[in-house]
Order: sequence, then structure tokens, then C-alpha cells
Amino acid sequence: MPPENAGYAVAAYIVAAVILLGYTGTLLRRARRAIDRARRA
Amino acid sequence: MPEWLRLALVIAGKDVRAELRSRTAILSAVVFAALVLVVFNFARDPTALAAVDLAPSVLWVTFALAAMLALNRAFTVEKENAALDGLLLAPVPREALFAGKLLANLAFVGTVEAVTLPLFVLFFNVDLGTALPGIIGVTALATVGFVTVGTIFSAMAVRTRFAELMLPVLLLPFMVPPLIGAVQVTARLLAGRPLSEMMGWLRLLALYDLVFVILCSLVFTAVVDE
Amino acid sequence: MTASEGAESLVRRGTVITAAALLGVAGVYVLAWGYTPIEARQGVAQKIFYLHVPSAWSALLAFSLVGIVSALYLWLNDPRLDRFAAASAEVGLAFSAVMLTTGPIWAKPIWGTWWTWDARLTLTLFLFFLFIGYLALRAALQDPGERARFSAVIGILGLLLVPFIHLSVYLFRTLHPQPVVLKPSRPSLPPEMLRTLLISGAVFLLLYIGLVTIRYGLALAEEAGEHGDAA
Repeated sequence: MPPENAGYAVAAYIVAAVILLGYTGTLLRRARRAIDRARRA
Repeated sequence: MPEWLRLALVIAGKDVRAELRSRTAILSAVVFAALVLVVFNFARDPTALAAVDLAPSVLWVTFALAAMLALNRAFTVEKENAALDGLLLAPVPREALFAGKLLANLAFVGTVEAVTLPLFVLFFNVDLGTALPGIIGVTALATVGFVTVGTIFSAMAVRTRFAELMLPVLLLPFMVPPLIGAVQVTARLLAGRPLSEMMGWLRLLALYDLVFVILCSLVFTAVVDE
Repeated sequence: MTASEGAESLVRRGTVITAAALLGVAGVYVLAWGYTPIEARQGVAQKIFYLHVPSAWSALLAFSLVGIVSALYLWLNDPRLDRFAAASAEVGLAFSAVMLTTGPIWAKPIWGTWWTWDARLTLTLFLFFLFIGYLALRAALQDPGERARFSAVIGILGLLLVPFIHLSVYLFRTLHPQPVVLKPSRPSLPPEMLRTLLISGAVFLLLYIGLVTIRYGLALAEEAGEHGDAA
């Protein structure tokens, strides 16, 4: 009978998603701001 | 004597003489080391852990922290005196310049270690006995390792705003292999273990020194030249 | 094409690749939870494997590229190489963060402890610190030439540190025998697990490429913003 540890797996999958999506979002936001600034320059 | 070595010794001699005059780097590092040793002594429970078990770690953490302090001060003082710029204008091969800086820093850190070791023996009641030559040897090996990388990084850090913070952030990961090796060898020396048990670590230390001395002297030019 | 137009097109292309990769990641999530079997000894927690290992591959790839490209930069002096190195370092940091979080979350149920100084976790920690050092140094330097040269130096030195960390951990463990632990990655995986792992690896690689492309475009845009819009 495999051990009852699904909670850990769920936590890990959520944390990974938060990090990857969070970083992607931040990156896109910074990119948009920089492109706007570059257009105006 | 090869020309680059002569140049390196001249450069090192200049730095050492300057430091002997002002004594800022060495003094602050020695005082710091003594304080660290005192803190370590009060931080441990003498009944729980024998001094000799903790000794190698305490010694090497103290050496590492004091070395970083000395490295930082050495380059800061030089930056304040803009001494490096004059040297750079002269046609000195950058490898010789690096060797000179490295030798001077080794002299500084070595002095701090030489003063700290007797303090350590005193505070922690450690009997070095026959281990002393070995301890000096492993100290030399490990110190070359982290002072080499430390020389490059302090040259870079000194050009940033938060130099005192930047140097440890950059340098600490690089200090880990020499530190681990040094602690392992020191522990075995103090326990009177045979040389064969330390060979792996000694080889690691020597290889680290070789690789990073060569590498750092090659990249030094990227740090000091435009 | 002006610099800002170049930056924009890169960011757009990178976004497309990243979006595809993120869809792929979602697909991996589905595969991990719906398709792969539950490992008998480790239970459901073993599924963290499909995230942890591929992000390790991407982080290590990112780091190696920073080192190699840094060496190339010092040799060739091409600012594009510096821009790429900076991009790879930042993206690598994100993947290292995934490794450093999923690693302990996986270790706790399997090994009973959040942290252990085994080869992979130790290396992960060092990569994380090296990335941080690299990015901190870049942030602290204003002059672009100086910033590029100095980060290149730490990039190269960092890459050469990795084998020594590995060697240190190996020496440490062979001389201090650790209790026999369940190794989370078995050499012979059932086909569903292997397939999912490889798909995840490809997806994470695609994500690396997409994110680096966006980040590179961002660097271009920032430069264009500072110097005015020149080709």
C-alpha cells in the first residue's frame, strides 16, 4: 500500500506553477514597459 | 628569475609596505578574528561537545570570515589611493599584476591566520602537538584557494556601491570547497589520523588551487582593463 | 528595423514559444496526475519527479550556457553574448527556484527530512547562490562594458566551481557513509513514467527557450530606451 502523501505532490505542483507563471508574468510586464519606453525615446 | 615573477614581487612588496604603514586591513581582521573566537567559545556548551570536535570548524569559519574582511579592506584602501591606475598605465603584463596582488593578499591573510592560530589554541585549549606542520600546510593550501578567487572578486566588488556586501555574496560559494577540504584535513590531523585518510581532500585542495590560480590570472585583465 | 522594433518582435516570438511551453506544462500536469502510475514505495509524492528533474535540467543548461557564453564574450566582445548570458541567468534562477522548492517538498515525505546535503540538492543550492551573485553583481554595476566583463568573469568562474562542488560532496559522502536511502530516481522506469519525464524535459526546454527570448528582447528594449531608437 503506497504511503498517503498526495498533499506534498499537490503542494509542489502548485508552488512550481506559481513560480513559473509568476516569473513569466513579471517578465512580460517588464517587457511591455521597456518597449513603451523605447518607442517614446 | 623570470621577469613576470620579479614584477609580481615588486608589486606585492609595494602593497605589503603600504599595508605595514597603515595596518588597517590586518588589524581590523585580527581583532575581528579574536572576537569571533570569543563568541564561538560562549556559544557552545562545553559539557555537550568536546572542544576538539568543534575545533576544526571554528578555526576555519574564523579564518574564512577574517580573510574576507582583510581582502575587502586591502582593495578599498588601494581604491582610495587610486594606486592601481598608475600601475595599469605601465606596460605590466596583467598576469604579473595579478600575481603581485595575490602574493600581497596572501601575505595579509597569512599574517591574520598566523596571529589567529595561537589565539585559537589558547581559547579552545587545543593541543596541536605533532599536527602543527600539517596544519600549516593545509592552511597554506586552502588559503591560496580562497584568496585567489577573493582577489578577483574584491577587485570587482570595490567598483560597486555595496562592496562590503558584494564580496561575501560572490565569494562564499567559492570558499566552500577549500573550506570543506581544510576542515576535513584539520580534523583528521588533530585526531592523529594517517596521511592516507586525507589524500583525497588534499588532492581536491591542490587541484582547486591549480585551476583557479591559472583561471583567475587569465581573467584578471577583464577586470582591470577597459 | 529599429532597435525597439527588433526588441518587440523578439518579445512577441518569445511569448508565443512560452505560451506553447506553458500549455505543454499544463499537459505534463495532466499526464503526471492522470496517466502515470503511482509508485509503490514513494506514493503520489513521487510525481514531483516530473517537475523537479526537468527543471533541474533546464537550470543546469541555463547555468552552463551562462558560463560558456561568458567565456565567448571575453574572447569575442560581442554585446549580444552578454545580453544572452544575462537572460539565461535570470531564467535559470527561476528554474533553480522551482528545484529548490520542489526538492525539499519531495524530500520530506520520502526521506523524512526537508533538507539533506546530497549531491543534487547541494548543487541546486549552489546554482541558486551563483545565479543570485551573478545577477546582484550586474545590478550593482552601471557601466555596460564593465557590467558585461565582470559578469562574464563570474560566469566562467562559477561554471568551473560546479565540478568542485560535486567532488566535495562525493568525497564527503564516501567518507561519511549515509544511511541507505530510497533514491528517488530509479534507472529503470516503467514506460509511462519515462515517457512523461522526457515529454516534461522537452516542455521545460521549450519554456527555457521562450523565456530567454522574451528576456533578451527585454534587454534590447531597455537599451533602446536609454540610447534612443537607433538600428
